[in-house]
Amino acid sequence: MPVVDVTVEVCGMAGDGTIAAGGLINEAMSQIGFSVLGFDSYPAEIRGFGRCVTHSRIGAGEIHSPGERTHVLISLDDEQSKSRVPFLAENAAVFFDSNPPAYIRENKSLVAEVEPSVLLYGMPFRDLATDVSGSARGRNLTALGGFCAVCGAAPEVFRRVIAEKFEAKGDKVLKVNLKCFDAGFRYAAKNFSDRMLKTFAVPMKADGPAKVMMSGNEAIGKAALDANLRLYFGYPITPATPIMEFLAAHLPLRGGRVVQMEDEIASLAAVLGSFHVGSRAMTATSGPGFALMTELITHGVMAEVPAVILDVQRGGPSTGLPTKTEQSDLHAAVFGGPGDSCRIVIAPTSVAECFRYTVRSFQLAEKYQIPVIVLTDFYLGNRVENLPIPEATEDEKADGNLYPDASAKDAYKRYLLTDSGISPRALPGMEGFIFAATGLEHTESGAPNYGPDIHTAMTEKRHRKIQRALADLPAPVEFPGPAGRDVGVIGWGSTFGSILDAVNQARARGRNVGALKITSIFPFHALEIREFMGRCDEVLIPELNYEGQLANLIGHLHRKDVVRLNRVTGIPFPPSAILSKIEDLVAER
Amino acid sequence: MKTPAIVLAERVLKIKESRAFDIRSSVMPTWCPGCGYFGINQGLNACIQQLELPHHEVVIVSGIGCAGRYPFFTHTYGLHTVHGRTLPAATGVKLANPNLTVYAVGGDGDGLAIGGGHLPHVCRRDVNINYLLFDNSVYGLTKGQPSPSSPLGTKTKASPAGTIDRPLNATLLALTYGASFVARLFAGDPKGITAALVEGTKHPGFAIFHIYTTCVTFDKVFKTWANLKKWVHPLPEDHDPTDRRQAFDQVLEDDFSLGIIYKRPY
Repeated sequence: MPVVDVTVEVCGMAGDGTIAAGGLINEAMSQIGFSVLGFDSYPAEIRGFGRCVTHSRIGAGEIHSPGERTHVLISLDDEQSKSRVPFLAENAAVFFDSNPPAYIRENKSLVAEVEPSVLLYGMPFRDLATDVSGSARGRNLTALGGFCAVCGAAPEVFRRVIAEKFEAKGDKVLKVNLKCFDAGFRYAAKNFSDRMLKTFAVPMKADGPAKVMMSGNEAIGKAALDANLRLYFGYPITPATPIMEFLAAHLPLRGGRVVQMEDEIASLAAVLGSFHVGSRAMTATSGPGFALMTELITHGVMAEVPAVILDVQRGGPSTGLPTKTEQSDLHAAVFGGPGDSCRIVIAPTSVAECFRYTVRSFQLAEKYQIPVIVLTDFYLGNRVENLPIPEATEDEKADGNLYPDASAKDAYKRYLLTDSGISPRALPGMEGFIFAATGLEHTESGAPNYGPDIHTAMTEKRHRKIQRALADLPAPVEFPGPAGRDVGVIGWGSTFGSILDAVNQARARGRNVGALKITSIFPFHALEIREFMGRCDEVLIPELNYEGQLANLIGHLHRKDVVRLNRVTGIPFPPSAILSKIEDLVAER
Repeated sequence: MKTPAIVLAERVLKIKESRAFDIRSSVMPTWCPGCGYFGINQGLNACIQQLELPHHEVVIVSGIGCAGRYPFFTHTYGLHTVHGRTLPAATGVKLANPNLTVYAVGGDGDGLAIGGGHLPHVCRRDVNINYLLFDNSVYGLTKGQPSPSSPLGTKTKASPAGTIDRPLNATLLALTYGASFVARLFAGDPKGITAALVEGTKHPGFAIFHIYTTCVTFDKVFKTWANLKKWVHPLPEDHDPTDRRQAFDQVLEDDFSLGIIYKRPY
């Protein structure tokens, strides 16, 4: 059986129905049984003008990265699609409008731009749509019909997916869209019978759990709902806003509330206020908003108040690159703010992990009475994957608070010095445990105190509990398994998928390489990381930042300098760049 | 015949039995002797007692400044947050558990300077928080710099030539922002504070209590006890607090009339 691993792009102008067509392809391929990873790009500013591209990697096995070469390009607007030509694979298939409007016809056709090896499928997208529906609006659906016929995907699945998408818009709209799809399908079946690719005509096993298409941001939203979030406080910021919008649609149905605050400072202040009285709350932001939150993060550290903060990273510093991806907030997340203010920082590497670790962040925040920062990025937040519908277990959702014993009544010490560093936390409303949470250094009972012994003991306590949290945090995972390696690649966040692809390709070439995934950024599993590094001749850390922020954090654990590989291109890390660095390192040995 | 010692012991016993001081915590206030904040403290304590609020169901939220220390001196739950973030923190507390009675306390620096951006929005949201703004027109905890409510020309170590920024009027701001309950009070009149707080606590929306007070250590010129006592006076008897236009006229004409200036009917 041939291994299916195909990258499909749809490209057009805003208004062509590009994003809708890409979404239908993702959903249909998922329902057929393929794995799908999609990452769209669309105009950075406002809608209405500009290039839209959907990018979907579709495969029979697991998919870790978006794929660097496009095998199928569906061009809804040749002028825009020319920008995608450099990314075409050899023998790529290109679907284009053979009778486009005049402004495209004049020396702007895609046909003149592509290599001779590319297979061309010219179809009158607009004419076909107009013939069956009286309007050219359905041209994206006729294009999909052509793609479906040539690539051998089951048309009944496409028709079902189209029905699911358009049924809410009424019978008429649905019928028009189906007619356009069928027209495209019939045209391609008739005219391209000698050039059928049958790329997706692979029998897929129908068993296994039902899958759902979900973005990282949606997974985070669903995780918060499942973890019984009560209050969301936030301020709009690209690319974190979809989390607020998802919750605004769903949280009120579960009795919770989304409150748009006046800024990010107010958002985190309200989250801390909410957790102070025992209600689960969260906020989501990106770099500039996260920077504003740093003082309050340290308040959570000092006053030992839980909080859950999502930082969907974008290019920085300052306003930076709002719609580009980067992993450059690690320093800020781990170290940002005044004083010795250790906190918990988790970085998921996939959509499924976005869900899992967001659910767990609430319990961790409660148990360790600390702000928990979940670091994702523009790419991870916006990419879609098909995955079994994620569900949280009762254990993961359970209340993480440690309440004081009744015997402590009337003699309660909120900041009791304990071996674990965790002091039982009373909630306002509980009789007999009155205290004031404070950002000033304080005694065990919470009274302000600046004595040298108190500050030393309390600082140690706060760090003790965070080190203890390691036991509850995801340990590093080694791929494919523990062994001595010529090159060991360590990664975090959305870049880890690219690392895994590169390592798998290098291994297929016979290189002795392995990968280590680090999800718990702070505290980090120093023993496990050191042990892995000890078995590697060279340690390579690719990151989407310039300074090598993870390398700065853990590099000292290696017996010699770690090799850094840094990119600030604003796009996901290409596996080929990592592979080529691995080859260099192997060659230098 | 009762000796003075017996008289004293009986008085102490009587106070103890009255439980009037139960609302005080064991932490001694850090405020200077003669500070106006003691009067505000007395007024709020009496309000909590008069309304018979269980102490464990009261949360006092504060920011930074001399008023920031407030929660430590009262036997209620407290949240001493960072500078200027009193109101959003109090919003989180109240929305998370509406059964709690929430008092936010802070000075003119905390509420009008660093935290000034939150005031319009807490007024808009109208969450049931009671905000006591202690306005002494000076930064006391940092030893005497001018505040947003210092009058033009205020001379301090940080403004040796006199300030050139005009002062803010917190009552007028709150009215303008659409606060649903606005009272102006004086730290030298704890009974007046209690009366307004009792009514404001029962008010279902956001209530702001703009309280003129003194800094006996760093202000010997402007808001001294002597001046404030001379300046303040009750609102006219015919003032109708449900009439917003009348409230504006009152505040624009008179900086020192005290009482409930505006109360939106629900």
